[in-house]
Amino acid sequence: MRTVLKIAWRSIWRNRRRTLISMSAVGLGLLLVIVYSGIMAGVFGEAKEQLDNIGMGHVEITAAGWRARHLAEQNIPSPAALVARLDLPPRSDVGWRVVTRALLSSARASEGVELEGVDWAREAALSAHVRDVRSGRRPNTDDRGGILIGDTLAERLQVRVGSKVRVMAQRADGEIGAELYRVRGIFHSLSPTIAGHRVLVGASSAQTLVGVGEVAHQVVIQLDRAADADRVASRLRAELGPRYQVLSYGDLLPMLRNIERFSDAVVWIAAIFVYGLVGLGILNTMLMSVMERTREFGVLRAIGTRPGRVVTQVLGESFWIATLAGAAGLLAGLAVTWYGSEHALLTIGGGEALEYAGTVLRSGVKTRVSLGAAFEAAILVYVMALVTALYPARKVARMPPARALRST
Amino acid sequence: MPVIEVEHVTKDYVEKGQVTARALRGVDLTIESGEFMAIAGPSGSGKTTLLNLIGALDTATSGTIRVEGREIGGLSQAELSDLRRDRIGFVFQAYNLIPVLTAAENAEYVMELKGLAAADRQRRIAGLFDRMGIKELMETRPLKMSGGQQQRVAVARAIVSEPAIVLADEPTANLDQATGRSLVGLMRELNRERGITFVFSTHDPMVLDQADRVVRLVDGQVNSDERKAGSTI
Repeated sequence: MRTVLKIAWRSIWRNRRRTLISMSAVGLGLLLVIVYSGIMAGVFGEAKEQLDNIGMGHVEITAAGWRARHLAEQNIPSPAALVARLDLPPRSDVGWRVVTRALLSSARASEGVELEGVDWAREAALSAHVRDVRSGRRPNTDDRGGILIGDTLAERLQVRVGSKVRVMAQRADGEIGAELYRVRGIFHSLSPTIAGHRVLVGASSAQTLVGVGEVAHQVVIQLDRAADADRVASRLRAELGPRYQVLSYGDLLPMLRNIERFSDAVVWIAAIFVYGLVGLGILNTMLMSVMERTREFGVLRAIGTRPGRVVTQVLGESFWIATLAGAAGLLAGLAVTWYGSEHALLTIGGGEALEYAGTVLRSGVKTRVSLGAAFEAAILVYVMALVTALYPARKVARMPPARALRST
Repeated sequence: MPVIEVEHVTKDYVEKGQVTARALRGVDLTIESGEFMAIAGPSGSGKTTLLNLIGALDTATSGTIRVEGREIGGLSQAELSDLRRDRIGFVFQAYNLIPVLTAAENAEYVMELKGLAAADRQRRIAGLFDRMGIKELMETRPLKMSGGQQQRVAVARAIVSEPAIVLADEPTANLDQATGRSLVGLMRELNRERGITFVFSTHDPMVLDQADRVVRLVDGQVNSDERKAGSTI
């Protein structure tokens, strides 16, 4: 095998220009696939970031019927106990919320808002806006009088950190509940809806406000891999029974799931075209290289080389071209994708963010580096190089030596 | 003992179902072990075709060819490759060395195919190249050698694995007379020293003069078969 690879290595440099052109085509093709899939993954790919931007889970559990009417009494009793018995994949984040519609009043104005009562530490892992407090800070766990509000809402209500606000909401017993809060922090959200209409308080404070015990309305789960969402939701549905409704983000935002599937299909179609072109490039190079050396292969056969070794010899040349070009394309592809993950390569629309399919995207598109996807692409280039070289290899190996020796 | 037996062999070249040339028409020939013989004849007489058939590089349309008593007609491509590797050496008109390998690597390639150990390969190459006066060319690639040097390396490649037969197709055609004479002289010495059978296809009078036996082909048939007086075989 060493001799085969040695001859193959020396042979590819006999026509240096042709080899370099062929390698460039292979390397560029691989670079394109890696960068393009990095862009698509950055825009649509894993739903984690988009869901994080709107505080939504890959899987959400509610009491059956809650989504239709949002009644305080349609709740999940002892959410901590429920979460403790959920068998979730490693590296999942999970939290629960008390959710109600409320009227928020400052000294200057009133606004209808969506109030969430949360466990602050858990919520920070689930919602980008809870981590992005631009003024003040997140309330402490035992801070029953603290409230966090969006920057757009704060502007409309003309409140600042330290301002007092009053919240009114319907209680489970049909009465109106009211509480006074002090603004501890003002957050920023990419979603105008969240920035303008959402407020957060501690879970126990929200439970008091709506007159319920240790309950929640939503259990929110974010998974490490968005692709697991449907499988996990299906399993939890079976485990929890009809008292609960378990939905994946694909059930909640079918448009997002469809766009993800579409983008995957687009990446694959583009990859097939690129690999096809790479394959044709290699085929052309190997055919030319082999055909113009038919006599040489005839000599190899004449002095006792078996046809199988001739095939290996030609595949060896393709192997070297794919190795060098693949390594260069892989490194260049990863470098460009890494650069694109640090600096936005392109911008969609104007402003800071773009709302689409129920989620929010940053308008500056950053790529997502995936070593796995990049190596997968490189391996496909290898396979393509070896498969396409099989044709000229077999053609020359099957030729009777006397005929090969007659060729000029 | 016959090393090659050719019986009633014909060879037609066929293209798209049509016979385009009838190269051999019922050739019978027996070559004994250790012969130094030539197949002569004008261009198109079938010399190279006969050499290709004897060397298992091509298949006969009809008839039987035996190499060292083994009929080669029914052998697979892999078996034919092994036969050539183990028993037959080739020297071509255009030298046909592998251009990306040095002279030593060209000779070593055949021995590697046979599975000889590296130390044994190196020992044989050093001895043979020294014997043939081309030791200084061992690390040189073919394109940097003269025609005569290349053909000497080609002869070294043909005999280094100690085949029973060396088939040489017009080996002197591209060489000047002095170089050609020296090369044939070298092959003659190897024939005598090692008992290797040499079969030339040629119309070079110098080679015909050196050969112990000359078989003349005309229009694909044996026209004459002459042994020189004093030939030992």
